[in-house]
Amino acid sequence: MQGIIVTRRGLLTASAAGAAVAGLGLAGCSSGSGSGGSSTELKFGCTNFSKESLDPSNQPNAAWACMRYGVGESLFKFDEHMVAQPQLSDTYTVDDEHTNWQFHIREGLMFSTGTEVTATKVAESLQHMYDKEGVEGSSSPSNFMKPASITPDDEARTVTIVTQTPYADLPAVLANPLFEILDIAGSENLAEKPIGTGPYAVSEFNSGQDVKLTRNEHYWNGEVPYESVDVIFIDDASSLTKSMALQSGDVDVTENITAMSDLEKLKDDPDYSVSQTISMRTGFSYLNAAEGRPLANKDLRTAICMAVDDATITGTTTGGLYSEGCSVVPSSLDFGYDQLTDATPHDVERAKKILDDAGIVDSDGDGFRELDGTKIDLDYVTYDSRNLSVMAEAVSTQLAEIGIQATVTKLDADTEWDRLVAGEYDMNSSNWMTAQEGDPYSYLANWYSKSDANYCGYRNDEYDSLYEQLETELDTEERKKIFVRLQQILIDDAAVLVHGYYNSNMCSNAKTVSGATVATADYYWITNAFKPVQ
Amino acid sequence: MSALRSIWRNTRRAIGGRRIFGVYVALVVVIILVAVFAKQIAPMDPYAANLSDAFQPPSAEHWFGTDKLGRDIASRIVYGTRISLTSAIILVLTISVVGSFLGVIAGHFGGLVDAVIMRISDMMISFPGIVLAIAVAGLLGASIRNAIIALAVVSWTKYARLARSLVLKIRHSDFVTAAELSGTRPGRLMRRYLLPSALPTLVITAATDIGTMMLELAGLSFLGFGAQPPQAEWGLMLNEGRAYLLDSPWLMIFPGAAISVTVIVFNLLGDALRDILDPRHAGQDEDVVELVPAPLS
Repeated sequence: MQGIIVTRRGLLTASAAGAAVAGLGLAGCSSGSGSGGSSTELKFGCTNFSKESLDPSNQPNAAWACMRYGVGESLFKFDEHMVAQPQLSDTYTVDDEHTNWQFHIREGLMFSTGTEVTATKVAESLQHMYDKEGVEGSSSPSNFMKPASITPDDEARTVTIVTQTPYADLPAVLANPLFEILDIAGSENLAEKPIGTGPYAVSEFNSGQDVKLTRNEHYWNGEVPYESVDVIFIDDASSLTKSMALQSGDVDVTENITAMSDLEKLKDDPDYSVSQTISMRTGFSYLNAAEGRPLANKDLRTAICMAVDDATITGTTTGGLYSEGCSVVPSSLDFGYDQLTDATPHDVERAKKILDDAGIVDSDGDGFRELDGTKIDLDYVTYDSRNLSVMAEAVSTQLAEIGIQATVTKLDADTEWDRLVAGEYDMNSSNWMTAQEGDPYSYLANWYSKSDANYCGYRNDEYDSLYEQLETELDTEERKKIFVRLQQILIDDAAVLVHGYYNSNMCSNAKTVSGATVATADYYWITNAFKPVQ
Repeated sequence: MSALRSIWRNTRRAIGGRRIFGVYVALVVVIILVAVFAKQIAPMDPYAANLSDAFQPPSAEHWFGTDKLGRDIASRIVYGTRISLTSAIILVLTISVVGSFLGVIAGHFGGLVDAVIMRISDMMISFPGIVLAIAVAGLLGASIRNAIIALAVVSWTKYARLARSLVLKIRHSDFVTAAELSGTRPGRLMRRYLLPSALPTLVITAATDIGTMMLELAGLSFLGFGAQPPQAEWGLMLNEGRAYLLDSPWLMIFPGAAISVTVIVFNLLGDALRDILDPRHAGQDEDVVELVPAPLS
């Protein structure tokens, strides 16, 4: 066996080089420049929110991914004003009670395999969500729609849905990705290769790496411009990688660059196109008020909401990518934000006083307060998406100022979701699409104590009874009044720590791709509107 | 003990004639002092965040600028010395002691003991080290302690193989045979005769390894398997700065420089130490020296 022969100068050079790698080289991780600009293949860079599955019943992120990649489509689709427009269903009728809905399925529809989309297939697909609910998946379709029956009529090409309670706008509910229409019986592997009616079909599912799509030759709604699409996962909180991948030509389009400075640079450069929407999303942290958890204590929650300086976090820490706000529903949506009163404005001294008065004090002198004799150490779970993790860190430093310890744990999106559903956290940062069916009804189920989607153990009887009124209230103005009251209750109870409202964006290489705009509803990423520049 | 005495004697004698070694020792001492007196040296509290002061470029107030939470980078780097240095030293001590112990045992007893220890070591080195470390750190969960464990699990083999080969070289020397014939017990034989002859090479390897291990620990932290926020650790600071590389390059430059300087100093020290403890290979810069002279089997 040979010994290792080195010169001293060589050793010095090697160590300098090694250290330089540590300093800068690790940062690059460049994969070399990609070709970019193919007219037959679209390279789409995105965050991977669902590593394991594209089966909508698995979890909401899986349903969303399937629709975002242009694989699954629903009976209806939201337009830019969040009004549900016909998609796979072209017409519908509803009775006066708003409980009996008959949807006509568009003629000549086929799945990407060439199988006809029949009323039975549609009913099977909807039923699949309820069959798996609570058994294997955590998608909770019942939070959006509780059907008494789903009956297909292949002859008439209609699906009749009888609901347990009246719905103001069931088409808007059915536009949700949870209700995308897939060929359930025809899919051998629903998790990796769901068969849908969208412009593209999954040809390869490489967990955590990429998803390869090919053109759906049977697409019903116009020409599909690309032969194939490579959905490349760029899991990077910083989005710097996304930005660099776009600039190097490794990807043609990327969603949600989350550093304001990178976004500004792309906007200023005529070679790139940046498309942004109004804030439909709220960045917030769940406060786990379940019994036995420290945050069951309202004074503690109130102090936390007061200690956090949202203006600085949204303005400086996230560089203005979020706009500040106190309610769970964004100020840009018409749900009465201006009628709300912020019960917990940023006030560190008042926050400390609330804690002192409540007997939550630091009696052992370690700098952190105790609750009922036990040191408070909040388990703050976060993940790398839309600046959530950096906001969680910022919040934790501000909580330290009032003597509350919060330990931030960064997880991947799937694990974070599992922890949320299992209630294993004290604080959990999330970013939600707030008006999933045109209004925030299903979103506000997060704080309705009888809902499966109540992951934070919050309970308020007035909130519950108002929420139940929404189930039967069909008048838009009345609903709005209830929404305002619900929001105010959450603010008064310090039920949730709201960070701000996020603007989604889509950035593309203007030289290679046209039509890459971001939809108001965050359900649609890759569409057949993305076209190669000739 | 006599082995240590002889090292010390050699060291003292060597320093006398080797100023450059003295310089390296002084630099290492400076680094150690920075770690020990971090509290006195750091201009600010490394964990005190002031969100409105985020992303400040280097200035008189903040020598190395501030990070995304408005924390003073200079102070974080000074405090980072503590974590990097102590974890690297703990790691190197662990692997060198455990590895050498197993290697000497394997070399001395041979047979089944040798086969078992060496086959385990073979298994360990058949994986790429850092990949296995990432797997171990991933299984145990991310923390600096687990990063040390992960690297220890994959790095001890080097010492085991080195110690074994050094022991094998002298295992059948006359003086060892003489000691055995005069009834020396295995424990004493290993302690008194086998280990001392292997020690200089092991010490040199350990000294050079401090820099390497520091780099690997920083690498694991950079990848998210080591130190966790808000710890002031250099690898983690690099990772945190990565997002802002284009607009706030100081977030990466200074922690990167801290790692570079420290690693170079420890490598140079290891190099100089070899010249002293292994004078056969001492010489001018361009002289070719052999790091691992012993055959492995």
